[in-house]
Amino acid sequence: MSTEATHQIHDITHEHHIHEHHWETSWAPLVLVAGIFFLVPIGFSGHFVYENQLMTIIGAGLGVPLILAGVAKWVEEGMSHKNLVEGVSIVGLPIFIVSEIFIFLGLFASYWTMRLSAGINWPPEGTPEISTTIPLIMTVILVSSSFTMHNAEVKLDDGDNSGFNKWLIITILLGCVFLGFTVFEYNHLIHAGFVPGTNSYSSAFFSITGFHASHVFIGLGLFVAVLIPALKGKTNDSFVACASVYWHFVDVVWFFVVSQIYFW
Amino acid sequence: MKLKRFFSVLNGAAMALLFATPAFAAAGDTPDTRADWDELWHEVLVDITVIGVIFIVAAIYMLIRFKATNPEQVGTATRLTTANAIGWALIPAAIFMADDFYLAAKGWTVWDHQRTVPENAMEVKVTGYQWYWEFEYEDGTTTDELKVPVGTPVVLRMTSDDVIHSFGLPYYRLTEDVMPGRITYIWFNPIEEVETLVTCREFCGNSHSEMFTAVEAIAPAEFEKWLAEQG
Amino acid sequence: MSTATTTHDQEAFNLKEWIFTTDHKRIGVMYLIGSMAAFAVAGMMALMMRLEQANIGAQFIETGTDYNEWLYFHGAAMILAFLIPGLTGFAANYFLPLMIGAADVAFPRINAFSIWLFYFAIVLALLSVVVPDTPDIMWTGYPPYAVTTEGNTSFYVFTVHLLGFSSILGAVNFLVTVIYMRAPGMGWNQLNIFVWTTLAAFVLQLVFIPVLAAAVTLLLFDKYLGTHFFDPAAGGDVLLYQNLFWFYSHPAVYVIFLPAVGILFEIIATMAKNQIFNYKVCVYGGIGGVVAIGGEVWIHHLYVTGMPDWLRIGMMISTLLISVPVGLIVMSLWGTLWRAAISYNVAMMYSVAMLYLIMVGGLTGIPLAMTSLTVHLSETSFIHAHFHFIMGLFSTYAVFAAVYYWFPKMTGRMADNGWARISFWLNFIGINVTFWPLFIIGPQGMPRRYWNYEMFPQFEAYHEVATVGAFLTAAGVAIMIINWITSAISGPKAPANPWNSRSLEWTHAPNPPGPGNFPEAVTVADDWTPYDYNK
Ligand code: HEA
Ligand code: HEA
Ligand code: CUA
Ligand SMILES: [Cu+2]
Repeated sequence: MSTEATHQIHDITHEHHIHEHHWETSWAPLVLVAGIFFLVPIGFSGHFVYENQLMTIIGAGLGVPLILAGVAKWVEEGMSHKNLVEGVSIVGLPIFIVSEIFIFLGLFASYWTMRLSAGINWPPEGTPEISTTIPLIMTVILVSSSFTMHNAEVKLDDGDNSGFNKWLIITILLGCVFLGFTVFEYNHLIHAGFVPGTNSYSSAFFSITGFHASHVFIGLGLFVAVLIPALKGKTNDSFVACASVYWHFVDVVWFFVVSQIYFW
Repeated sequence: MKLKRFFSVLNGAAMALLFATPAFAAAGDTPDTRADWDELWHEVLVDITVIGVIFIVAAIYMLIRFKATNPEQVGTATRLTTANAIGWALIPAAIFMADDFYLAAKGWTVWDHQRTVPENAMEVKVTGYQWYWEFEYEDGTTTDELKVPVGTPVVLRMTSDDVIHSFGLPYYRLTEDVMPGRITYIWFNPIEEVETLVTCREFCGNSHSEMFTAVEAIAPAEFEKWLAEQG
Repeated sequence: MSTATTTHDQEAFNLKEWIFTTDHKRIGVMYLIGSMAAFAVAGMMALMMRLEQANIGAQFIETGTDYNEWLYFHGAAMILAFLIPGLTGFAANYFLPLMIGAADVAFPRINAFSIWLFYFAIVLALLSVVVPDTPDIMWTGYPPYAVTTEGNTSFYVFTVHLLGFSSILGAVNFLVTVIYMRAPGMGWNQLNIFVWTTLAAFVLQLVFIPVLAAAVTLLLFDKYLGTHFFDPAAGGDVLLYQNLFWFYSHPAVYVIFLPAVGILFEIIATMAKNQIFNYKVCVYGGIGGVVAIGGEVWIHHLYVTGMPDWLRIGMMISTLLISVPVGLIVMSLWGTLWRAAISYNVAMMYSVAMLYLIMVGGLTGIPLAMTSLTVHLSETSFIHAHFHFIMGLFSTYAVFAAVYYWFPKMTGRMADNGWARISFWLNFIGINVTFWPLFIIGPQGMPRRYWNYEMFPQFEAYHEVATVGAFLTAAGVAIMIINWITSAISGPKAPANPWNSRSLEWTHAPNPPGPGNFPEAVTVADDWTPYDYNK
C-alpha cells in the first residue's frame, strides 16, 4: 500500500477516536451467538440425539427470534456507525471466502475418495435415475441471478435507488426459485427411496448439494438484510458489495457441484 | 559426508555406551527388525541429545555471561551485514538439512526391512473385536493368543470387525492399525524363545486397556504340538 | 502524554460495558478468563486421571468410560478451549493492535461475535460433561468408534464448529487489521515478531480449520443422519476422517507453537535489550517456512494406518525438514541473547524455561517423525511426553509468561513477587517430574489412553512419580492464579514502562490503555523497530 493511502486511513482512525472517548458496545454479537447456540447445537441434539422434541422446539423457539434480533440490530448499526477504517469489508469478505473454498474442498475430497475407490460400481446400488435437466435449469436460474445482482449494483452506482430495489428483489426471487427446485428435487428423490443413508453416493449428494443450498439461503438472508433498509432509502455500499460478492461465489461453487455431482 | 562420518563415530561411541549386550544378528539373512529398531533408536537419541545439549549449554552460557550489570545497559549486538545474514541462514539450514537427510536415509533402510515380508513367512490372520483378539492359522485353527515357532518369520494379516484397533507388539518394536474394511500387515522375526504380549494401541472404547493377550515364541516342535491340540 | 485516556483505570466497573464490549482489549481479557477457566477444569481432569493411573487397577472409577470421558475433555479442552484461544484469542487480541499502533481491530463487532462463539462453545463443552452419554471419543474423534459409541458425539462436533467459526472470523479480522491498520510509516520489516507469528497462525487457521469443520460435520451426519462417509461396509472410508482431521490438526500445532514463539521473542528481546538476531531470516525463512511446510506433513499422524509406503517415506522426509525453519527460528532466539544485557523478572524465568522446553519437546518430535521408529512409538506415552513438553508446557508457559510480562499493561499493577517465583518453581519442577517418566516408559511399551496397565506392572513406580509431579504443578498453578487475582486488585502500581521496552504498546499507550488505545496518533520513523535498544 502506498504511504499516502496509509496516511489517509490513519487520519480516519485518528479522527475517529478523538471523537469517542467511551467504550464501544453492541449487544448484537452476543444475541446472535446465543441464537445460533440455541438453534443449532441445542435444536439438533434435541431432535437427533435425545429424541426430545420439546428440547428442539425450545431451542428453535429461542434461537430464531434471537438470531433475527441480532441480525437486525447488527444491520442497523452497520448502517449508522462509522468504521475505524473505511472500505475494508470488501477485503475481509474474500479472505473469508478462502476458508469457504476449503470447506467445499474438504467435502469434495470426501466425495472423490469414495467415488474413486468404488471404481466401476458407480453409482452404487439403490441410486434411482437422477434428472440432469433440473440442475441445468437451476444453473440458468442461478447464473441469471448473478447478472440481475450485477444490474442492481450498477443501478446503485448511478444513484437509482428504486432501480436497485427492483433488481435486488428480482435476484431474491430467482434465489427462492432455485431453492424451490432443490426442495422439489429432494422431495422427488426421497420418494424414490433415495435418502442420505441409502449409499455412499446419496451421502455425498445430499451433503454437498445441501451445504450449497444452505449457502444460497445465507446469501438470500444477506439480501433481505440489505433490502429492508434499502426500501426505506438506506444503503451501505460495502455491505451491498459484500453480499453481491458472496452471491457470485455461491454461484461459482454451483458449477463445481453440478459438474461433479450430476455430470461426472 | 564429513557430517555422516561425524555421526557414525558418535554412533559407535553411543553403541558402546548404550548396549550392554551386542544386538543379536539375524538368523540367516532374514533381518531382525527388532535389533534394527534398537540400533536406529539409539542413534537418533544420541543425535538429538547432542543437538539439545549444544543449544542448552549455549543458552546457559549466554544467560549468565550477558547478564546486565546495571539497569541502563543495553545489548550491543549490531545488525548483520547482508552477507552475514545469508550466511547465518544458509549454513545452519544446511547443517540441519544434512542431519535430516542422514536420519531419513537411516530410517528408510530400516523401513525397507520392516515392510518387506520374507518369502518363507508363516501367515496368521488377525481380527480385532471390542475387546479381544482372534488369530487364525494357515490350517484354519483359531485361537485367542498368538504362539509362533522360533526361527520362522511371521506375517500378520489384520482386520477389524468393528472399530479401529491397533496391534501393538512392544517386544518386536511394531504397531499397525487394525481397521474394518481394510487389511494391514506387519511381520516379525522370532529369533529366540520369549513370552511377551500384544496390547491394543488405538482407542476403542470402554475396555481398550483390557485388550491384550499373550504372544509367545516357542520351539518349533512344541508349536506343532500346541497347534494340533487347538483343533 | 495526553490526559484523555489515562483516567480510565479509575473508572467504575460497568458490567454492561464489559459484556457488550467490542473493544479488543476487553475481549482479550475475556478470552484470558475463559481459556484459563478451561485450563483449570481440564487440569482438574488431568489430576483425576493421574490419580487413577497412579496405581494398577481401578482406584475410584467404575468403568473405563469414566476415565475416557475425562481424557476426552482434558485433550479437547486443553487444545481447543485453552491454548488456541489463549494465544490467538487473548494474546493476539490484546497486544497485536497495540503493537501496530492501531485503535482497535478492523471489525470490532465481528471480534465480539468471535468471543461469544468461544464462550458458548465452552458452555457446550461443559454441558457435555454433565449430560447423559458424555462424549468419550478423545479429542481426535476417530470413526467408526465416534459413530458407534453411546456417547454424545454431537456436542463434540458443535463445540468444534463454534470454536472453528470463531477462529476463522478472528483470522479474517486480524489479517485485515495488520494489512490496513499499521501505524503510518510502519513497514513489514518493522513489525514485532509476535505480529508475524500471529499472522502466520491466522493464515493457517483460515485455510485449515474449514477442513476440520468438514470432517466433523461428516461425522455428525454419519452418526445422526445415517450417511456412510466413514463406513467401509457401504462404500465409505475409515481413514478419510483421519486424513481430514490431521490435515487441520497438524497445522494446528503450529497455530499454537508460532504465537508462543512470538511471545517468547518479545520477552527475550525486551529483557535482553537486544535486537532480534537475523530478523528477516527468522520471519521469511523461519515463520514463513513453517507455514509452507506445515501443511504437507499430516501423514505423520497416520504412520501406522497402512498408508502407502511411498507416502509414509515422503512425509517422513517433509516432517524432518520442519526442523530447518524451526531451527532458523531457534537460531534467531539464541542469537538474540548474544552480547545482550539481560535482566530477570518472572516472565523471563518462564522464558528461560521455554528455551529448554522447546528443545526437549521439539527434538523428541524427530524420532516420531521417522516412520520406522514410530511403528513402535506410536500411541505410547512417549508421544504424551513429546506433546506435553512442546504444547502442554512450552506453549502453555507462553500464556503464563505473557500474562506476567504484560500484567502492568493490562492492570496498571505489578504481579512479579515472591509468590510468582515460588509458583514458577513448583510448576517447573512439577512438570519435569510428571513428564520425564513418560519418556522412559513410552519406548518400553506403555500405551496411551490406558486407565489400567495390569500387563505392565513394572511401570507402576513411574506412574506414581508422575502423579506426584502433577500435584506439584497444580499447586504452582493455583498459587499463580491467586497471585494474578490479588495483584490485579491490590498489587503495587506499575511504572509506565517497567521493562524499558521499545515496543509501541509500552512507549505510546497508558497502563491500561483506554478506548482508542493511544492518546495521541502514533507514527513511526523509517528506521524505527520495536527492538532498537542499541541506538
Ligand atoms: C504445539 C504443539 C506441537 C508442536 C510444535 C509439535 C512439533 C513437532 N511434532 Fe508433534 N505432536 C503434537 C504437538 C506438537 N508437535 C501433538 C499434540 C501430538 C499428538 C496428537 C495426538 O495423537 O493426540 C503430536 C504428535 C506428533 C507425531 C505423531 C506421533 C504418532 O501419533 O504416532 C509426530 C510424528 O512425526 C510429531 C512430530 C513433530 C515434529 C517433527 C515437530 C517439529 O515441529 C519440531 C521441530 C523442533 C525442533 C526439531 C527443535 C528445534 C530445532 C533445532 C534445535 C534445529 C536442529 C534440529 C535438527 C536438525 C533435528 N508429533
Ligand atoms: C495444552 C495442552 C495440555 C496441557 C497444558 C496438559 C496438561 C496436563 N496433562 Fe495432558 N493432554 C493433552 C494436552 C495437555 N495436557 C492432550 C491433547 C492429551 C491427549 C488426549 C487424548 O489422548 O485424546 C493429554 C493427555 C494427558 C494424559 C494421558 C492419559 C492417557 O492417555 O491415558 C495425561 C496423563 O497423565 C495427562 C496429564 C496432564 C497433566 C498432569 C497436566 C498438568 O500440567 C496440568 C496442570 C494443571 C492443573 C492441575 C490445573 C490446576 C488448576 C487449579 C488447581 C485451579 C485453581 C483455581 C483457582 C485457584 C481459582 N494429559
Ligand atoms: Cu482395541 Cu483399543
Ligand atoms: Cu503433527
